[in-house]
Amino acid sequence: MATNISFILNGDEISYEVKDHWTLSHLLREEMGLIGTKEGCGNGECGACTVIVDKLAVNSCLYLAIEVEGKIVETIEGLASTSGALHPIQQSFVKNGGIQCGFCSPGMIMSSKALLDKNPDANHEEIKHALAGNICRCTGYVQILESVEAVKNMGGQNE
Amino acid sequence: MKAFKYLSPKTVEEAIAFHGQHSETSKFIGGGTDVIVKLKEGWMEPDFLISLKKIEEMSELHKNEATQELSIGAMVTHATLEKSLMIQNDYPIIYDAVSNIGSLQVRNVGTIGGNLINAVPSADGAIPLIALDGVALLHGPDGERSCDVKDIFVAPYKTILKPGEILKKIAIPPQASNTGSAYIKFGRRAAMELPLIGIGVLLTLDETKEICIKARICLGVAAPVPMRAFGAEKLLVGKKINEEILIEAGKIAADESKVRDSVRGKAWHRKEMIRVHVRRIGLKCLEIIKNNS
Amino acid sequence: MSKSNSDFSVVGKRIPKLDAAQKAMGRAEYIQDIKLPGMLYGRILYSKYAHANIVKIDTSKAVALSGVHAVLTGEDVPEKMKMGFIKDNPPIKKGKVCSFRDEVAAVAAISPEIAKKALDLIEIEYEEQIGIFDPEKAMEKDSPLVHGHLKSNVLKMPWDIHYGDVEKAEKESAFVVEDRFTTQWVTHCCLGTSGAIALFDANDNLTIHTNTQIPSLAQKDFLESLKAMGLENKRVRVIKPIIGGGFGSKLDTYAYEHIAILLAHKCRKPVKIAFDRVEEFKATSTRQPTIIYIKQGCDKNGKLTFRDMRMVLDNGAHTSWGATTPSVMLMPISSLYRVENVKYVAKCVYTNNTYSQAMRGYGNPQATFAIESSMDMLAEKAGIDRIEIRRINRNQSGDETPQGLKITTCGLEECIDAVEKELKFDGKNEKGVGTGIASLIHVGGGARIYGSDGCGAILKMDDYGKVDVFTGGTDMGQGLDNIIAQIVAEELGLLAEDINVVHSDTDICPWDVGAHASRSTFVAGNAALGAAKKVKQKIQKFASKLFDVPAEKIEFKDKLVFVPGDQEKSMPLGKLLRKAHFSPGGTMLMAEYFYDPDNQNMGKELKGNMSMTYSFGAHGAKVKVDEETGKVEVLEYVAAHDVGRAINPLLLEGQVYGGVVMGLGYALTEEVTVKDGEIMNANFRDYKLFTAKDAVKIKAPIIETDDKDGPFGAKGIGEPGCVPTAPAIANAIYDAVGVRIKDLPITPEKVLVALKKKND
Repeated sequence: MATNISFILNGDEISYEVKDHWTLSHLLREEMGLIGTKEGCGNGECGACTVIVDKLAVNSCLYLAIEVEGKIVETIEGLASTSGALHPIQQSFVKNGGIQCGFCSPGMIMSSKALLDKNPDANHEEIKHALAGNICRCTGYVQILESVEAVKNMGGQNE
Repeated sequence: MKAFKYLSPKTVEEAIAFHGQHSETSKFIGGGTDVIVKLKEGWMEPDFLISLKKIEEMSELHKNEATQELSIGAMVTHATLEKSLMIQNDYPIIYDAVSNIGSLQVRNVGTIGGNLINAVPSADGAIPLIALDGVALLHGPDGERSCDVKDIFVAPYKTILKPGEILKKIAIPPQASNTGSAYIKFGRRAAMELPLIGIGVLLTLDETKEICIKARICLGVAAPVPMRAFGAEKLLVGKKINEEILIEAGKIAADESKVRDSVRGKAWHRKEMIRVHVRRIGLKCLEIIKNNS
Repeated sequence: MSKSNSDFSVVGKRIPKLDAAQKAMGRAEYIQDIKLPGMLYGRILYSKYAHANIVKIDTSKAVALSGVHAVLTGEDVPEKMKMGFIKDNPPIKKGKVCSFRDEVAAVAAISPEIAKKALDLIEIEYEEQIGIFDPEKAMEKDSPLVHGHLKSNVLKMPWDIHYGDVEKAEKESAFVVEDRFTTQWVTHCCLGTSGAIALFDANDNLTIHTNTQIPSLAQKDFLESLKAMGLENKRVRVIKPIIGGGFGSKLDTYAYEHIAILLAHKCRKPVKIAFDRVEEFKATSTRQPTIIYIKQGCDKNGKLTFRDMRMVLDNGAHTSWGATTPSVMLMPISSLYRVENVKYVAKCVYTNNTYSQAMRGYGNPQATFAIESSMDMLAEKAGIDRIEIRRINRNQSGDETPQGLKITTCGLEECIDAVEKELKFDGKNEKGVGTGIASLIHVGGGARIYGSDGCGAILKMDDYGKVDVFTGGTDMGQGLDNIIAQIVAEELGLLAEDINVVHSDTDICPWDVGAHASRSTFVAGNAALGAAKKVKQKIQKFASKLFDVPAEKIEFKDKLVFVPGDQEKSMPLGKLLRKAHFSPGGTMLMAEYFYDPDNQNMGKELKGNMSMTYSFGAHGAKVKVDEETGKVEVLEYVAAHDVGRAINPLLLEGQVYGGVVMGLGYALTEEVTVKDGEIMNANFRDYKLFTAKDAVKIKAPIIETDDKDGPFGAKGIGEPGCVPTAPAIANAIYDAVGVRIKDLPITPEKVLVALKKKND
């Protein structure tokens, strides 16, 4: 039971034959080798697998791959520019200590991107609300929240 | 996860027909945040998964300006409700409930209809819809029927939906003026919680804004299915609403509840939280009424 | 004279983590991401009972399943293959299970799905036995035994310690307080779950990629397993991939690693075992739960006279390092504040529960919860201000404690001052709001709990002025690679980015006892510094000939080797290295250094200076208690630490913030709920870690005391952040509403019960 789907992945048009029961995280990680999307629980309770589908942050472990047909999918691999420059959110996480073990980082950064793309001036409470589904055990969130706040001050955050 | 065939009907009729063809081996899927967990765990092993995502009418959220009736398609996501200014302003109780379901990632995908028919005792989404006297529109092989939202639930994980039947939308009747409503999920953390107890209150006052003409006190996790505290509601109707009477209503509601001990929380504490929050949320309703005038 | 931060060019700077960009881009490879050619997937079947005899196992259906390469039961495990520090735990159990996490079978198959299916096909007949789940009951004479071949459930451990004369001191005390405290099971919750890939080469040498904090000790464990398998004189290479958090969870080897080895050997293919989240909760170890009895007293001026503590530790069904946590608990018990007369008795008791292991703080959070709660109770009884009683009894530089700990530098007073400056302690908060303080002592200069507390470093200069450092130390996200890079860069006048730190591959890196006891900055840092100094001397010797000046006149800065005041005598380091290399009789500059601190194992009297230096800290919390619901909200938090020197304040603050929030979870929300030995909340929904929405405002003042033995004066700071958090919160709750919660976590239910009791 496989279906051919077309979608846009990190700016590229993709046509891929997916098994109907694959999750999006399975497609990305196991089939396409995009290991940047992490799986920390497989049940939508940690946010490590967060990717952006049609501008919305979703848990790719609870999203069927077949359902991205016709949609725009963004993963952590698509954030840095083609020349390799980090996206301002990535830069800010690096600079402000938002990353320790790094396992939650791709998901955390994708959740931040979904928020800031829509609401570049998000306030502290809005940031906390948007990141509440991304569990981090290393940082106590302090430097993560600082990282997201700092993006606002970096200017010209959209490529 | 066991392999299945994914079907994507564009109308409710088509979805029901698909189900009819494979009734024993097919399941409906909405947003999927509950269903995919069940598929992964092997609690559900369909050969056909019938997605409701492409059925446009089920994703509609609108208020009929003439009748003032609110219609929420079952496939409307929690995030859509959360972000809607109309919901935020006119139905704060819905906003309170949906804005703290799971994570934003879950709310972006999970639907209000799914939250209802999953029928867990802790479903936040059910409480405001019951408080607002919501009516569920069901559509199945035998046609359409409707019922009060509160009557959807039979037991934990069990609803009145018959095989092949779909919850299509929820209709919220017009709200009287001088109505305030609010919900609180009491949990240990600020997010990612199932409620230890969920308390929703709706109060409508008369034109003097003193006497209660309608009261709804709805409780989640207080019984095997979402419940209304009829005794507490009855106490309030016809009375002048102040803190004292809300305290009394809280006591009655707590007594009416059928809370139980579980791994997540103790019955006595749940009772206590009902008692405290009926008052607090009731006062919040009064505040909302005051601010709206 | 001690140096100030302005004397350094790299040390003391907020240099971002060197691997952060890689991680931010999603390019870091964790065990979950690694696939080897021909790799099989292993999976483990666990017991269905807390305590049972295995009557029969039938694996025939699993063996017959297409795609299954091997099925193992306890019968397939060599007799001498055992885990844990008293080697009481075979990786797959035979004949009997003693806990739900006991392994009963394992499979290797061509896909994770088939492996899972194969487990479902294994049929096991059990005969259930009475389980024992309460450690105090398990100590009773007629208690059923967890291990029938032992005479008692109580482990033979040496924790019965008496310094000074506690009985006499108690009689002479003006004020005495006594109470019982209990702490719960909590677990590490590393975001990256556990996993290993084992493979053998044609000569039966093993390579294992595994999530470990102890590559060298793991290598030893695996060598022992190979020996038990009849593979003597073989080599083991341990490679640690990037790991998604450690926090102590990876300080012992686990059954899954040994099972992967057995399966890989049987199948002659690489075998990967990767845990899912439920398995991570159920089959990795917890922090040791404790029952603590404490009595302490002071004289009429508030000076501590004695401390008498007794503990019962639930050891679970098997013995890992959790049973040795009293050796670290002894440190705060004997040495947090000046107290001459100390008694400590701890009993570790087998039960049919899960077993415990190391977790950040290694016993210190449990002991400090009791000590610092009790300090507030004593202050109240003696009518002394709670800040004042801590000042009166504070540790000071030059102290030697009853345990024999030598306090070389101590910034405890400055830490207490810093907390007092940030929070109000005058009792004049609004209703329901209160403040609390609690202090800590922790090892900051290694901890000798093993034959060696050492770490090696090899340093290799290239032809361009760049450096490779091969360290024994392990990075698990805390940023050890940065610390080593900054130390080496400082010494050689380079930038941190000029230093490549290679770690966690036993074929390449020298020995180290492991990333534990907050020791890596101090011990691995000193090892790298030692190697840098050696290579520096070699460069100086070469440059001295080149510049014709005495070697000691040659300095290093901004990638230059130069003689101050003589502009002619200056050369870029890279050029100088090329000169050394490409001259007749050329040389490439390398150095190795093994640093083993001059600290002591505890002798028979359980005395000894276990660490070269000690880190201190004071935490202050401001909380608001909802008196109707019992819910506690943390309004502000201050965590001040004496860190010797902050090699990298950005990373140091990250350690403190992360530690504090882990501590807040310990205090308020986290608990592995265990019912008759079974874990009931093996998921992130019901195991309540703080979320970003629960995040707390934290200030982390850094006190620098420039320790003489630390690299550039630094002490360890990995663990302290989570040590006094729970008592700081408990003390603040008492200040706010007058109830003392003695049982962690402090749930709304417990607060409400206490409030009702108080108001009755």
